[in-house]
Amino acid sequence: MVLEATIICIDNSEWMRNGDYSPNRFQAQTDTVNLICGAKTQLNPENTVGVLTMAGKGVRVLVTPTSDLGKILACMHGLEIGSEMNLAAGIQVAQLALKHRQNKKQQQRIIVFAGGPVKYDKKMLEMIGRKLKKNSIALDVVNFGEEDEGKAEKLEALVAAVNNNDSSHVVHVPPGPSALSDVLISSPIFTGDGEGGSSFAAAAAGGVSGFEFGVDPNLDPELALALRVSMEEERARQEAAAEEAAKQESGEHSASQDATISENVNTGTTEPENKSKDQMDDENAFLQQALAMSMGDSSSAVATRDTEMSEATTDDHDLQLGENLCWLAKFHFLTCVLFSFVFSLSLLTIRSDVVHYPLCLYLCSILLMLLVIFLQYCCFP
Amino acid sequence: MACLHDHSCEEHDCSSDWSLYKHIDLSKVSALNEAVSGSVKSVFRAWEQRLNSSEGHLESNEGDPELIVFIPFTSDVKIKSISVVGGADGTSPAKMRAFINRDGIDFSDAQNMQPVQEWDLVENLQGVLEYQTRYSRFQSVGNITLHFPENFGGETCQIHYIGLKGEATQLKRDVVATIVYEVMPNPSDHKTRAETGGGLSQVE
Repeated sequence: MVLEATIICIDNSEWMRNGDYSPNRFQAQTDTVNLICGAKTQLNPENTVGVLTMAGKGVRVLVTPTSDLGKILACMHGLEIGSEMNLAAGIQVAQLALKHRQNKKQQQRIIVFAGGPVKYDKKMLEMIGRKLKKNSIALDVVNFGEEDEGKAEKLEALVAAVNNNDSSHVVHVPPGPSALSDVLISSPIFTGDGEGGSSFAAAAAGGVSGFEFGVDPNLDPELALALRVSMEEERARQEAAAEEAAKQESGEHSASQDATISENVNTGTTEPENKSKDQMDDENAFLQQALAMSMGDSSSAVATRDTEMSEATTDDHDLQLGENLCWLAKFHFLTCVLFSFVFSLSLLTIRSDVVHYPLCLYLCSILLMLLVIFLQYCCFP
Repeated sequence: MACLHDHSCEEHDCSSDWSLYKHIDLSKVSALNEAVSGSVKSVFRAWEQRLNSSEGHLESNEGDPELIVFIPFTSDVKIKSISVVGGADGTSPAKMRAFINRDGIDFSDAQNMQPVQEWDLVENLQGVLEYQTRYSRFQSVGNITLHFPENFGGETCQIHYIGLKGEATQLKRDVVATIVYEVMPNPSDHKTRAETGGGLSQVE
């Protein structure tokens, strides 16, 4: 739980475009920086982290030491890659930024990502290292990217000059399949001086590799158990679904047969339509009967006729109910209107001075429609 | 200015004068450019033990004789004089500069700032020399920073004992240090008398 102010020096030189670390060197660096910020703030909520760039237009402090992770993540967007990195100037500016930290009780630490070649000589770097040691600033160096002649040696010498009681480290990361952040999680840069950071490292490592379902059974046994049980249930469900799918494949043969039957039904429905036309002609004949007979008789004739029609439609109903009903509805509406017209006419002939023609028409049509619907529901329960 | 201790100590108890070491907040003492981290705490002892550096002494890094020692006190003190016992063979400090009530001074600050007082030291291996302060300037000292820029030609700078003579007041310079921070209010922490006692209060 060391109270620490950290400045991370990012290398955004041209050498960072290279893709030997996935996805490219610069992106791998950014991911690692995010992880470091998270680790530091988790170790102690009052820890602060700042970021500066060493290449580009020049050494530039992007964000002064802060415990606000959002600010740090935001400042990493839209960084330009260019030029070459200036290690000495970067470290000196970092020293200055740390000197002006708000909480003087924090220990000072600089983390340097050295991706490009180092143009300074060993002596100069050792001098810088001694100056850092004098002001009790710890230094961590991540050596990745370019493998210059003597670069590793120079960085080792630098860290050896700074090192006071094993608080400074240098980590060499060769290009390879595993991501930069994964290699660093297990390094002393994350684990601190042996205490504190190891819990974060274990959690992160667990998420990356090793533990089943990404949860350490030691840390959270109930969660691990629940995940395992749900996984097995899902597997069983998928097996059952697979079996059903196999069954359904055999069932699809019968489904295709159903399709052919429905096609037959479609051809079948045309017949009742023809039947309905014939029935319309029949109705005209029946109209004459209605005029001759009394009111009650005509309605019964209509009823019988409706039952006949409905009987004709029951055959169709077994095959395609929906289509028939739609067709039937239209038919019934027409017949009702027709009969109401006829009925009102008959009434007019009886007493024209009493009967109000449109109202009579309207009422009769409603009555007839209700009658027909009632009859239909009797036939088709 | 140096004063020579020219009486034997049985007649009066010197150690009571040099008792300011009791008021030093040892956990917060720090030094810059020390070779062994934490060794600075061993230089504050009782007057009788001033030559007994069996527990270690403060040494600077190889080839760099500069040292800064930061001494915070538990309460404000008035410092009358300072005594420094150095090492042999030119490792004793040659100059001393003092800064009062300043936090976080490092070497570049120390070199640029004007000290409250500056002394030229001599080799004081027996611990009989003391350096007087301008007392008016050292009236309410919460912490003092001593900067030793040079030594007498040795590779490192060694300090075996630092003694402070003066008086301690009971005044504390501390800012609010005993605050309990609450992320979420806990009603049980804020019981008022009305809640615990219950009942109505009457105004008569």
